[in-house]
Amino acid sequence: MAVLLPVGTRKGLFLLSPGHGSSGWEVEGPLLPGWSVFHAIVDPRDGVLYAATNNPFYGATVHRSGDLGKNWDRAEEIGLPEESGLKLNATWHIEPGSDSELWLGGDPGVLFRSDDGGLTWTVNRGLLEHPTRDRWQPGAGGMCCHSIQLVNGTMYIAISAAGAFRSEDGGESWMPINKDVAADFHPEKYPEVGQCVHKLLVHPAKPDRLWQQNHCGVYRSDDRGDNWERLDGNGLPSGFGFGLALDPDDPDVAYVIPEESQEYHYTSEGRLGVYRTDDGGASWELAANGLPDRAWAAVLREGCTFDDGNVYFGTQSGSVWTAPQGVSSWTEAVRDLPPILSVEAAAV
Amino acid sequence: MAVVLLPGTLAAEAGGQKRFELDASTVGEALRQLPVTNLLFDESGELRRLVNVYVDGVDARGGRLLDEPLSEQSEVRIVGAIAGGS
Repeated sequence: MAVLLPVGTRKGLFLLSPGHGSSGWEVEGPLLPGWSVFHAIVDPRDGVLYAATNNPFYGATVHRSGDLGKNWDRAEEIGLPEESGLKLNATWHIEPGSDSELWLGGDPGVLFRSDDGGLTWTVNRGLLEHPTRDRWQPGAGGMCCHSIQLVNGTMYIAISAAGAFRSEDGGESWMPINKDVAADFHPEKYPEVGQCVHKLLVHPAKPDRLWQQNHCGVYRSDDRGDNWERLDGNGLPSGFGFGLALDPDDPDVAYVIPEESQEYHYTSEGRLGVYRTDDGGASWELAANGLPDRAWAAVLREGCTFDDGNVYFGTQSGSVWTAPQGVSSWTEAVRDLPPILSVEAAAV
Repeated sequence: MAVVLLPGTLAAEAGGQKRFELDASTVGEALRQLPVTNLLFDESGELRRLVNVYVDGVDARGGRLLDEPLSEQSEVRIVGAIAGGS
């Protein structure tokens, strides 16, 4: 198996694979030109490539390709029921389900399910009609459902700025899991909902352990989100950021890419810095060997990922960086792409 | 038959076809026959805000838009609104 990186950009999709380029990577694309690709995955179950695609003129949709981008199909109408009074603003994140289904997160804080390989999508009523919805509000990127995690029959989602939610019944109902997660911008600092989660991940080998990069800090939970511990301040220059990655072999390892502040969305301290913890967030160390030490870059919420062997991230200035887990040194796989919205890693 | 012309992104979504000859008496009837209908209309069936339609060179938003009548010789051109910068 070889690695393939679907890289979503504001101007289409690029596929990166190991090859003979000067950096050791080959670049294919742009695929889906004209579309902003908020997120793209290769479904590990069947190898189908999916992209959450958005266009300022033609709306929000999903494209799928059974031959890694040579031919594409587009989903039929993805929309919200008229009685909701809501319209779909964007598609944000695609996640393979625990059976054959696919999940799609979108703006305004909505979730869809497909049982036909992404051709048709049904809105999740439990989230659409959530009793706390009137207390949600959009973040700067819209009210996006950007994190979807499924493990052992439990689903987690996160929405900016509604918070994190857990479902034990396949998405029929959703319980807010935001205890002790700050919402510094909110009149009530620790509300039940309304937190601005930027990214939420479940550790693949320790499913009770959740990590989140939030608008207001970095957090870890060891009880499936019932309680959260705030982790920044122990070596991190800032609690604000978007990208988050883990190490599948070590639940105590996490990576974040702090940004200066909620007002200044570029990397902290005038450099491109990835920070790594190997003690569950008790302490963080700069892991930036090979990264530029004079840079004001930005990495978006879908712009950081990982697999068994490596960590990857893409910047809004069009570079994709890779490093082995543990981060001895970073390598720039490609530069000068359009602004990068998402990076995923697939084994093909 | 009225002729409908698609811009590049929509043509790519229509299998590469830019030009359609359609039997339609109004703009709405023509647009709803295209294979990109769900990109032109939102879930409420409304023409998306940044989709402009020109009939024989005249902006249909200044007229009856979807109810604008078409003749056998009409040329309908779909153009994304000028909303660039990104």
